[in-house]
Amino acid sequence: MRLYEFEAANLFKTKGIPVPRQKVVETTEEALSIAGEIGYPVLIKAQVLVGGRGLAGGIKTVSTPEELEDTAGQMLGSEIKGLPVRKILVSEKADISKELYVGITIDGYSGKPVVLVSTEGGVNIEKVARTSPEKIGTATIDPKFGFYPYQARSLLRKLGLSKRLLGSCADVINRLYTLFTEFEALIAEINPLVVLPNEGLLAADAVFEIDPSAVSRIKYPLPDRFERIENPMERKGKEIGVTYVDLDGDIGLISSGAGLGMASMDIIGKILRPGNFLETGGGITEELLYKCMELVMMKPNLKAIFINIYGGINPIHEGAKGVVRYIKEHQVKIPIVAKALGNHQEETWEILRSAGVHVVTEAATEKAVDRLIELVRKR
Amino acid sequence: MSILLDEKTRVIVQGITGKIARVQTKWMLDYGTTIVGGVTPGKGGATVEGLPVFDSVEEAVKETGANASVFFVPAPFVLDAFYETIDAAIKFIVIVPEHVPVHDVMKMRSYAIENKVFAIGPTTPGILVPGKGKMGIMPASMFAPGRVGIISRSGTLSYEFAGILSENNVGQSTVVGMGADPIVLANLPDILELFEKDDETDAVIIVGEVGGEQEERAAKYITSHMKKPVAAYIAGRFSPQGKRMGHAGAIVRSSAGTVEAKWEALAKAKVTILESPMDVSYWTSKHGFH
Repeated sequence: MRLYEFEAANLFKTKGIPVPRQKVVETTEEALSIAGEIGYPVLIKAQVLVGGRGLAGGIKTVSTPEELEDTAGQMLGSEIKGLPVRKILVSEKADISKELYVGITIDGYSGKPVVLVSTEGGVNIEKVARTSPEKIGTATIDPKFGFYPYQARSLLRKLGLSKRLLGSCADVINRLYTLFTEFEALIAEINPLVVLPNEGLLAADAVFEIDPSAVSRIKYPLPDRFERIENPMERKGKEIGVTYVDLDGDIGLISSGAGLGMASMDIIGKILRPGNFLETGGGITEELLYKCMELVMMKPNLKAIFINIYGGINPIHEGAKGVVRYIKEHQVKIPIVAKALGNHQEETWEILRSAGVHVVTEAATEKAVDRLIELVRKR
Repeated sequence: MSILLDEKTRVIVQGITGKIARVQTKWMLDYGTTIVGGVTPGKGGATVEGLPVFDSVEEAVKETGANASVFFVPAPFVLDAFYETIDAAIKFIVIVPEHVPVHDVMKMRSYAIENKVFAIGPTTPGILVPGKGKMGIMPASMFAPGRVGIISRSGTLSYEFAGILSENNVGQSTVVGMGADPIVLANLPDILELFEKDDETDAVIIVGEVGGEQEERAAKYITSHMKKPVAAYIAGRFSPQGKRMGHAGAIVRSSAGTVEAKWEALAKAKVTILESPMDVSYWTSKHGFH
């Protein structure tokens, strides 16, 4: 679950990480009043859940109320990388003497947290990592041992940070690591961590993403998980417990397992265009597949539906009943091709055929896609 | 010998009294797996499918001589049960559940390595040795005995590949689901190593997918350690890339994780690239694997 910058900054504050004076607003009027309190110039920052916001025009400096009105007016209601801007953050513009980068994430292969630090923070940090990797300090952490201030100091010392800043910067990094573990983050990032002329520090941006599997056990008033998903079909997918991605084609897809779903898309995509990706996860039930049909059919103008499922956890005929119930209740007219294998497969095929579903009984997805193409071309 | 699971494997089912676990226990028994009991804290003394249920793993091991465990424990309790299982000296564990929190998996991985325990998952359909036994949820109808090994990141794609091979009269030595999570307890090279040593496996198929760097690491391993022929299919060529937050992920990874990057790494390691699942049967028939 991704947090907006203002939510992440509030979280940082609870752990004593210094953040700028700032407030999130939804109207130009509110923005004017907050900027008046903070004092110009201020930063106007679009609150969207995507990286690279700065380079996409989502962060602007304004020096006067007139400028603020123009900028905030334009930004609110605009789109950044396809996401609507509903909230903006009005933030104190700090004097910068140095910008650090601090990031914590998980290395999937070793299965360990990694702390990354650089004295060359800012929007170009990925370029720095590619062209001058020596300017990034990396520490791989034993998750049972944890991360201690000496490790942060050692990273910073190697990067040549002045002695006077070692203690305070290491302190911020360790506080961020504490948040990372307590809130079971997948990523926690401050970019930039600003060093002020008086050598104070300010976390001038905040990125934080919580492991969705851990959200329910975190004792902190987190915002609604689903509200922040912009696409209504993707939101419904999360609500019924499946992964749905809206695409611009016209073939509906229901698959069990991400790998099988991706393989289906790869094969369909050679000739036809998938209108969505849908992955059920394990444990297919009648109810779940009924809801999957409902979800896939939310998209208008589909030419056909392709179902590719295996029954592992549950017998597969349960799911077939859900598909058939939907077809009968809603009198679905477009062709449906299904490959459904696993426990109780013969029974499953019979159930599906009873509602006019085109059943393919071979294992290879290609064979089922051939049938799909044939049916779509016929129409 | 197959890998990880053979005639000497004595399996306990953890979380055996759950609804799904009961059904799966029956199916594992039907397939010929030696299951000796189950564990659910607080349900000791009960029986499931005629098997004794114990309150603790320690008791189960003492009473049954179990040396392997398959988990149907609810995700929030997996970490605790995993530590318990390792402390009871079980050396092979299969974690079927999905949605185990990532920070728990990190700790599990660390503890397993420290105690020299081989574990696969989470979010794995498990492991199946055709005709002999299975730990997990793989649907038996897809598999046939033979000499080709399969390792898959995706559960259902492992069934698909086994199914295609079986339809073409090519059997499998062992089929292993690595688990679909971003962090897994056994990485691809760990499992390749077992297949390379297994004298009942002639060739290995990797079923990978876009993202992460398992396949790139496997390519390195194959170059330096493997003599057996390997073919690989990577799903996700046309998958849309998700919107990314922050920079840390991009800085940490040594590879872009794209299908093309994986193909390149694997081809360099002389692995045959399968562009589509059905290509696997052309590969096996061309080389006479069965």
